[in-house]
Amino acid sequence: MEIILCPLVIALLKALLGNKINKWIMSVLSIATLGLVIKVYFEQVVALNSGVWQTVFDKPWFSDSIRFTLGFDGVTYLLLLLTSILTPIVISSVSYNRHKFIIPLILVMQSALNGVFMAKDGLMFYILWELALIPIYFITLLYSHKDAYITTIRFFIFTFLGSLAMLASLIYLYLKTGSTSFSYEALINIQLSLKEAILVGGGFLLAFAVKIPLVPFHIWQADTYTNAPAQGSMMLSGVMLKMALYGLIRWYMPLCGESISYFQPAIMVMAVFGVVYGAIIALKQNDMKRLIAYSSLSHVGLITAGLFSLTLSGFEGGMLQMFTHGINVVGLFFVIEIIEYHYKSRDLSQLGGLAKHHKLFTILYFVVVLGSLAAPLTNGFPGELMLLKSIFDYNSLTGIVAGLTIILCAVYMLRMFQLSMLGESEIVMNKIDTVKLMPLFIISAIVVYIGLNPQSLIDVIHPSIQHIMEDIANSKGVLS
Amino acid sequence: MIGLSIIFFSAIIILFTGIQKPEKKSKNLTVFSLLVAALFSLFENLEVINTQTLFAWVPSSMLDFNNFRLSMVALVLFLSAIIIGLMPSSEKKGSDLLGLTLFALCGGIIMLGSNHLVMLFLGIEILSIPLYVLAGSDKKNLFANEAAIKYFLMGAFSTAIFLLGCAFIYGGTGTLIFGEMQLKVGFAAHFGEFPILIKLGVILMSVGMLFKISAVPFHFWSPDVYEGSPNRVTSFMAIIVKICGFVAFAQLMSNFEPMHSWYIKWLIPISGITILLGNIAGMVQKSVKRTLAYSSIAHAGYLILFLLIPYAENAQILFVYSLSYGLSTSVMFYLIDKYSTADNFDFTIFKGIFNSNKLDAMALILAVLSLAGIPATIGFTAKYVLFSKAFEYNQWAVVIGLVGSAISIVYYFKPFKYAFVNENLLTNRESSLLQIFYLYWRCYLL
Repeated sequence: MEIILCPLVIALLKALLGNKINKWIMSVLSIATLGLVIKVYFEQVVALNSGVWQTVFDKPWFSDSIRFTLGFDGVTYLLLLLTSILTPIVISSVSYNRHKFIIPLILVMQSALNGVFMAKDGLMFYILWELALIPIYFITLLYSHKDAYITTIRFFIFTFLGSLAMLASLIYLYLKTGSTSFSYEALINIQLSLKEAILVGGGFLLAFAVKIPLVPFHIWQADTYTNAPAQGSMMLSGVMLKMALYGLIRWYMPLCGESISYFQPAIMVMAVFGVVYGAIIALKQNDMKRLIAYSSLSHVGLITAGLFSLTLSGFEGGMLQMFTHGINVVGLFFVIEIIEYHYKSRDLSQLGGLAKHHKLFTILYFVVVLGSLAAPLTNGFPGELMLLKSIFDYNSLTGIVAGLTIILCAVYMLRMFQLSMLGESEIVMNKIDTVKLMPLFIISAIVVYIGLNPQSLIDVIHPSIQHIMEDIANSKGVLS
Repeated sequence: MIGLSIIFFSAIIILFTGIQKPEKKSKNLTVFSLLVAALFSLFENLEVINTQTLFAWVPSSMLDFNNFRLSMVALVLFLSAIIIGLMPSSEKKGSDLLGLTLFALCGGIIMLGSNHLVMLFLGIEILSIPLYVLAGSDKKNLFANEAAIKYFLMGAFSTAIFLLGCAFIYGGTGTLIFGEMQLKVGFAAHFGEFPILIKLGVILMSVGMLFKISAVPFHFWSPDVYEGSPNRVTSFMAIIVKICGFVAFAQLMSNFEPMHSWYIKWLIPISGITILLGNIAGMVQKSVKRTLAYSSIAHAGYLILFLLIPYAENAQILFVYSLSYGLSTSVMFYLIDKYSTADNFDFTIFKGIFNSNKLDAMALILAVLSLAGIPATIGFTAKYVLFSKAFEYNQWAVVIGLVGSAISIVYYFKPFKYAFVNENLLTNRESSLLQIFYLYWRCYLL
């Protein structure tokens, strides 16, 4: 409970004190949530080894059937960790003139996201899922260009339509329990016929596919990322996409396992197509934010394909990649924010030769780029390897196609680095404060640490993943 | 019952003491009497006071206020107090307008409590006739005149159809009392086939009621009337008339519950079309008032979904839904009234509201989120309970409702496009104490 309340309290503090409190103090304050997450982890560490989703908080909410239940296990822990590491970094990147409203909004969003990852009650999951959408809507609306209204509203309607489909599915499942309970355990025990499972699962999948996004549903993504302020893009791609991937593992697969084999080929094709499609479009982009948007499309496509291969390595690789993709993409947006702030441009055709101005920045930037393109000994590598292996196990053709990402990703990432940093400088230089690079330094440290020691994360999630896979197997087994 | 008497007597007092006095002088008395009446209805509902001996002379086959009806009466009185209290009253117009509003409210309460077709008809008439006058109370305004005439013609027309329906029902069942009607329909259900007279009567009465709550295809009068009438009258029509009309409709239909599977056959398409058309037409409107008119049409569609649910089960959710709809819509009308000028009802009226008045901006955000049914507002709670109940009876109707909610985001969120614009065009307008109280209400989180 305190993990959800803590960001809200800090947001309230900022909203009340206004300009008296600057972003660095806010950033440090928001680390408190990270402390709480780790504290809960050590309280639950023994129980976590069993892999069961522990209930850490439980109170009736509307009535007895809709409860405020919070769960905690390895998967939840990993995502809470990701959110609470990223939030201080995102806050520290806020530029001076706009921090008044954006910081409380980011913190409210963090609180809702924490809730989503911990929610153990269907309706609560839905409500918090929607609540996370409101702050990001206002972040993009308040701080984007004048003409961006259409983009924002398109983003909102797309995701809202998807979540309504999920609501319909949840209500259907609720009625199936005899209108008694929304709790995870009750929903998981429902036996559905194939037709029901396809309809209900379709609702869930629509909500998640819009948010991940999978290819036909991705059209909101690039525009929203480009128009949103950097903080909005960071929160969206760093954490919010993970919400949908998490939803796939935790809610869709165990609840409607009967329908997985029905949807599996289609999702696989969509995801793998998205991997290549995103990468190829990213090759040609000159706007750095757009480039990252499409690279993100490519990366999450790979994760989705890995999850739908339904293998242990696919799940673990997917979880690992969710974590590292969050870290890397926030690092890249951070770099873009710095470049844009100091050079007033993020157009690759105008940039160039920045490496001469600041050595440390160049090194950190390069580390993040390496992490993104999954070079060995960086955090991108182990996850991607596991994912590709599992996709290859599913079908060698999809494996080969998805494997193209290794080359394509290297091409567009290195092209971005080359065009922005190397070559001759023509731009008037502005000095970058070294203090500003602190968050980037932390990100690079995480990139290297996980690259060297991925097992530390896998150990955390392994029991939970196994438990979830059992649930999925049970759910699938009902049919046969 | 006691609420009705209080409102009736205060209406007479305001009408006669207020002759030749400006509206402003009687406003406080009106709001006070509304709140007192609401309070007494609440007490009556909670059985703090016993009024049965006092009103023993009223035959319960005519008017009967049971628990659910009393809470609806309290709600309607409370919402009217908010509408009249929030909206500024003019110096120029006379107090008789407030008196007329209270008389209209009496009609609404009679509709809520009616147990007899004639009482229901009387309620509809008492509600409508003052409203025809009120719609045209802005005498110099051409649009108001148009609205009044249109409303009058349409109202008279729909009442005639309703009366014809009553006649058929009387022919089919031989009674006008709800309870006896229910028995007769129950008998008919045993024989399998319902007499054609009853079926025709139900259809005609429904048409009359659907006119009143402006459901498609009987909605075409409402955008013009809503746009032309003065703001206070519009919000009264959009909230009180709609709630009273629908609750009376639901009570009426509950007598024909054995025919449930027959009448939902044509009510579901009407509801679906109403939701879709209201929301889609709302997207393309330029004027805020017109947009809200279409929003209220869409809400009529959601309300019809209540008829899918057996009457005994839907009392509580109907109350929550009415509360949510009434609160959010009245805030929207209040804001429109505050920021619009005589010739500008565009969405641009909200320009810069976030910088000039934080409290109003918060009220706007909450009202919009609640109307759109975003979680953590009462609008979501209302829609959720409605949809989850209706889902048991018809899945596709609910799916259409969900799609409609998604479409409605397009126009509900339009004010946000301007609200955060950094231009301080507007002078700082102060917020009243009432509004702070109001905000507190709106913040009612789940």
